[in-house]
Amino acid sequence: MKRWIGPVLSFPVTAWLLLAFAAPMIVVVLLSLHEYPSPFGPVIQSPSLVQFIKILTDPFYLSVIAETVLLGLAVTAISALLGYPLAYWLARMPSKWRALSFAVILIPLLTNVVVRSLGIMLLLSPQGLINTFTGWFGIPPVETMLFNHGAVIIALAQVFMPFMVLALYDNLQNTSPRIHEAAESLGASPGMRFLTVDFPMSLPGLRSGVIVVFLMATTSYVSATLLGGGKVWTMGMLVLNEAISNLNATMASALSLVMTAVGLGFIALATLWLNRFMRWRQGVPSSPWTIPAWVATLVDTVGAPIRYLLLFCSIGLLILPLVLVMVQSFNDVPLATAAGFRGFTLEWYRRVLIEGDYTSNFMVSVKLALVAVAIAVTLAMPAAFALARYPFRMRPLLLAFWMLPLSLPGVAIAVGMLKLLQVYLIIPPFAGLVSIHVVVILPFIITLLTTSAMSLDRSLEEAAASLGANRIRCFLLVTLPGMAPGIFAAALVGFLMSFGEVTVTSFLTTARLTTLPVRIYSEATFALEPTAHAISALLIVVTTVALALLGKFVRLDRLYSR
Amino acid sequence: MAMNRRQFTGLMAAGLAAPASIIRPAYAQPKPGDELVVGIWGGAQEKIVKKHIEPQLVEKYGCKVSYVLGGTGERRARAYAERGRPSFDVLYLNIYESRQAVADGVTQPASPAVPNYEYLYPLARKGGYGVAFNPCTIVYDKTAASAPITSWKDMWNPEWKGRIAWPNGLGAEGISALMMTAKAWGYGIDEFDKVVEKVKELKPFAGIQGSQAQLFDMLDQNVADLSVEFASFTRMYAESRNPNCAIATPVEGQAVTMNVACITEGTRNQKLAEEWVNLHLSPETMLAYANEIYYSPTVNNVEIPPELQGKVITSGNVDSLVDFDWDYINAHRAEWQAKYDREIAG
Repeated sequence: MKRWIGPVLSFPVTAWLLLAFAAPMIVVVLLSLHEYPSPFGPVIQSPSLVQFIKILTDPFYLSVIAETVLLGLAVTAISALLGYPLAYWLARMPSKWRALSFAVILIPLLTNVVVRSLGIMLLLSPQGLINTFTGWFGIPPVETMLFNHGAVIIALAQVFMPFMVLALYDNLQNTSPRIHEAAESLGASPGMRFLTVDFPMSLPGLRSGVIVVFLMATTSYVSATLLGGGKVWTMGMLVLNEAISNLNATMASALSLVMTAVGLGFIALATLWLNRFMRWRQGVPSSPWTIPAWVATLVDTVGAPIRYLLLFCSIGLLILPLVLVMVQSFNDVPLATAAGFRGFTLEWYRRVLIEGDYTSNFMVSVKLALVAVAIAVTLAMPAAFALARYPFRMRPLLLAFWMLPLSLPGVAIAVGMLKLLQVYLIIPPFAGLVSIHVVVILPFIITLLTTSAMSLDRSLEEAAASLGANRIRCFLLVTLPGMAPGIFAAALVGFLMSFGEVTVTSFLTTARLTTLPVRIYSEATFALEPTAHAISALLIVVTTVALALLGKFVRLDRLYSR
Repeated sequence: MAMNRRQFTGLMAAGLAAPASIIRPAYAQPKPGDELVVGIWGGAQEKIVKKHIEPQLVEKYGCKVSYVLGGTGERRARAYAERGRPSFDVLYLNIYESRQAVADGVTQPASPAVPNYEYLYPLARKGGYGVAFNPCTIVYDKTAASAPITSWKDMWNPEWKGRIAWPNGLGAEGISALMMTAKAWGYGIDEFDKVVEKVKELKPFAGIQGSQAQLFDMLDQNVADLSVEFASFTRMYAESRNPNCAIATPVEGQAVTMNVACITEGTRNQKLAEEWVNLHLSPETMLAYANEIYYSPTVNNVEIPPELQGKVITSGNVDSLVDFDWDYINAHRAEWQAKYDREIAG
């Protein structure tokens, strides 16, 4: 095999990341080494570790790091616990219903993170849905569900669980029915089959899901700000405070790098720990798990009810806040967060549909997401083939670099970009935003496309070649159609992520380029009207109808098989 | 020709001002198609300026107005990053950010080049053009109070223990709460440690409120009963959602906070920006602000209608607003913020 193919295929994505990601990263590193913050000082100064010493010797910073990690672990655990039964359910859904069922995770992804957090607020508030429901049975309202760690954990789980489900679904769906038949023919009960076959085989997906959810949860700040009531501190909030309120880019950069180190440490630990249970993937001989008979019996007895209970909870968590958002879009209240239905109104829809309050922002978001996805997929395709088929020496290092945007808080990239604005002003604002959005979505698109490329049946390409197809013909007529569902899934996830991105975009937004989420977030920090709920409700309806229609005309079950 | 004292003074002033007009660069007249970029809060304020300022400017010059919406934080951070080459022409900041931005050379100080400058109260000429007074004070649930609040010291009444939503950080509300604590208890501005110790006596807090929307939720949801917030928006909230919400008028006064329109240093649309600010300072826009969101005028040529008397600050009580030494506060901001994070919020 030609050794140069891998590096050549890896070049486009690496070049992009060097320009659009490494540059702000380097600025962040240089800023973190400043002794004092200086908003107008040069970026390159004599290096000092004083900021890092400050962070690592200050009990306050250490306690916030610990709080963030614990919060991230709790969100990851809940996402896994609730996401697993949902992924399992989706994987076994008849293909006819699968497209519509996927709406359960796609609709939350399409709804702005601010609006989803507000939905959780409407769920947990003293006059919210849970208390209203329990009130029917004479149970007094619980007034302490909001503005604490529990509320933030629930909100973050609601926001990030879809990523866990997507990661798990791929593995669960790919388990061949023949393996199930083999297990059954050897006398395994359904419980034993799950414990010894399904669960171990889903561990790679669980590993990816755990890493992605932990990293996203620990670097976020929107939900913690809105639902923590000031009692919950995360590193993301600290970085934002330092960068924005204190104009202390130096400390913000150092904090982001500490957060990155924590994220990378978690990736290493999670990978090492979970890999112990999947030695079979490295081709190392491993004996099957020993499951005591009573455990299998217990799983056989209570497994199904618990699974359905967890499934009910996970669908409830994903959908209920959105139902409340839809209800709130008809509520005659002055502010988006005012709980309790005061009266029916169509005013918020009038503002969206007739006055076009959000139309231009919506169009900017759609354009941005489409262009970012097109570029990201184009860049990631060769990279995915390099990873799947053409091993080369630098591959693990490059992969780590490609995944780095995931573990660096978005706000840190924004801090670096702010410093680079003097240079980047030369670039048209739209191009600047696109370049950063591509960076943010690339890790996901590369992962999804690599999985897709790895599972291609190469014998089909060999068959085409043996029938006289040249490489280009073979790629266009065999490989590309085989990848199509994977490409669609990657594009969909990329689109949704770009469409909802707030953190970095809000720093780089300009007069003509205010995206929908930035507009909603800007109003939420001041006084958000239920117009935001109306546009979210419209998006939810349009997505559901589109998925249902697509499911009728296109074999959507194939789309989700990656 | 005889000259009286007033004419002589006027002539002297004109003579002194003449070099300034020579030094002042000749700015190009706006032409159709020019674009003015305004950074402002979303929501009510965006709507008001779009309704009352933009149409007049567009009609007069055939220009285009574009908005960058968001909180002051992101706006200020971007303006600082673009110092000297701004993408904004007009930037709305709060009282302390605006003064710091002028000191840092990011925005211009107020100048008589804006005709309505002459009507601005002296307080509103600092850090740019003050466009709205928006005092901060104690707001509370009157059904939870044994007696109406008349002093900032009343927050230390044991009946509020565990029911206070203290404002977040050193933003406008946060700094108002801390500085009014200092004033009420007789501490100097250089005795921040004592202020922190005094505020710590109020803990545990029901929560730390990060925005007015969050505070109103906390009051709605019975999570908290008292906080420090802008009187204007709280009045709207009390009238539309919560009649039990009261706005205190403490004997020590209400803390002055102000929205300030700032023209950026290096703007390519100086004339348009000045015209924009001038329109914002016009009596019509000031009244629209007062009518729609109870923002108080910063100019002395506005007649407040009877129905707004007592709800907004009028010329008679501008002097009762408590101002702070913002230069000192800004110089100690990082140190105070660190202390706040650890001792009050932590």
